[in-house]
Amino acid sequence: MHPAGLAAAAAGTPRLRKWRTWPAEEIWRAGTWRGRCAAVSEVTTGQGSRDRGPGVSRCAQRRDARSRSWYVVQAGLELTMLPTLALNSWQSSCLSLISAGITASKRRIPVSQPGMADPHQLFDDTSSAQSRGYRAQQAASGLGYPATSTLPQAAFLADPVSNMAMAYGSSLAAQGKELVDKNIDRFIPVTKLKYYFAVDTVYVGKKLGLLVFPYLHQDWEVQYQQDTPVAPRFDVNAPDLYIPAMAFITYILVAGLALGTQDRFSPDLLGLQASSALAWLALEVVAILLSLYLVTVNTDLTTIDLVAFLGYKYVGMIGGVLMGLLFGKMGYYLVLGWCCVSIFVFMIRTLRLKILAQAAAEGVPVRGARNQLRMYLTMAVAAAQPLLMYWLTFHLVR
Amino acid sequence: MAFTLYSLLQAALLCVNAIAVLHEERFLKNIGWGTDQGIGGFGEEPGIKSQLMNLIRSVRTVMRVPLIIVNSVAIVLLLLFG
Repeated sequence: MHPAGLAAAAAGTPRLRKWRTWPAEEIWRAGTWRGRCAAVSEVTTGQGSRDRGPGVSRCAQRRDARSRSWYVVQAGLELTMLPTLALNSWQSSCLSLISAGITASKRRIPVSQPGMADPHQLFDDTSSAQSRGYRAQQAASGLGYPATSTLPQAAFLADPVSNMAMAYGSSLAAQGKELVDKNIDRFIPVTKLKYYFAVDTVYVGKKLGLLVFPYLHQDWEVQYQQDTPVAPRFDVNAPDLYIPAMAFITYILVAGLALGTQDRFSPDLLGLQASSALAWLALEVVAILLSLYLVTVNTDLTTIDLVAFLGYKYVGMIGGVLMGLLFGKMGYYLVLGWCCVSIFVFMIRTLRLKILAQAAAEGVPVRGARNQLRMYLTMAVAAAQPLLMYWLTFHLVR
Repeated sequence: MAFTLYSLLQAALLCVNAIAVLHEERFLKNIGWGTDQGIGGFGEEPGIKSQLMNLIRSVRTVMRVPLIIVNSVAIVLLLLFG
């Protein structure tokens, strides 16, 4: 296997396709950093970070340290969400101990972009305010353990038996949670999905504006941070699943509204609309994956990325149907036409970078049957969006 | 709109059945789509036809047993519920 793909897999990135297109800066970085690791991974013969020789240490440590810190952050997020107050304080104080211990021992990862919080932390850590309050109380009594004289549950916890019971119970809960988390990751890629939901209001606003008016946007390339794409909240070009999911649900509701104004509504029709839209989405995803396989495109477009891109058309559909409700057929056609053209341009500009070869994406026309096929594929995918937008909404507006 | 997830599943089952029925020796070789006829050079990347042939062969190999199970279930359900 490709050594770079191995490195990325060890660091916990979304699963890459077999072959990868590398942005220009990536190739430069690969030349310096991974050039050193390439020789190493030949030695380890595809075992990645398992083997430890003296020459492997730096590369493997960096990969391990990154994935370890990610697990620490994730574990911290899960643990700080436990319901009871006493448990919360105990866990957060223990967690602060553990994370302090780990961060002291691992190598520091340099953050290359200024003004960006730790890029591997997808969500803000909001536990600090609460744990800071408790830690201030416990400062006098030393590290870690809840000071029984200052906590509000003082009388309850002063009894050593209940103290031990509390500790036992919370350790059981933590073990159970670990087990569930470990197993659920096998069926639903939760960590990968979390990346797609790391959005904030500014990103959503900018992205919606981009979907409706993509003509002035210049740079469509997703920024990378040490081989992983940056979370959507830091880069407006990154795909997310929040907007498609919300837009899908809103589309169902708006469809119900439209049907209701025409006296055609019945509750099972909502389920039918949802099922139909999902079926079209699944069909699109399968068709595009099949054509990507047949044309042997080297791309890092994952399935979830594809679902995200294909889900962006629901925004235009909602706009069209709402305008159709307010202003009749003329309003519907106008707004839908505008959104269709915008989605077409948006998809072409986004997919061009993912599917076409690097040279072609920069505007230099590259000859050859392969690139022509890819161009046709991109055009076909982009052209299918307006068609589907019309097909899924025309029966709602009379 | 009658296009539901269930009809998508039915269509997918029918398509996979259709691919599984293509016999390697009796049919594919006669139209030049046998997989031992199509291996191109090693360095050049494969064209669409060889990708298709590989896909057909892999679907036939992988889906043989699951198709038996899924088809049996579909037959029983269709007999019972129409």
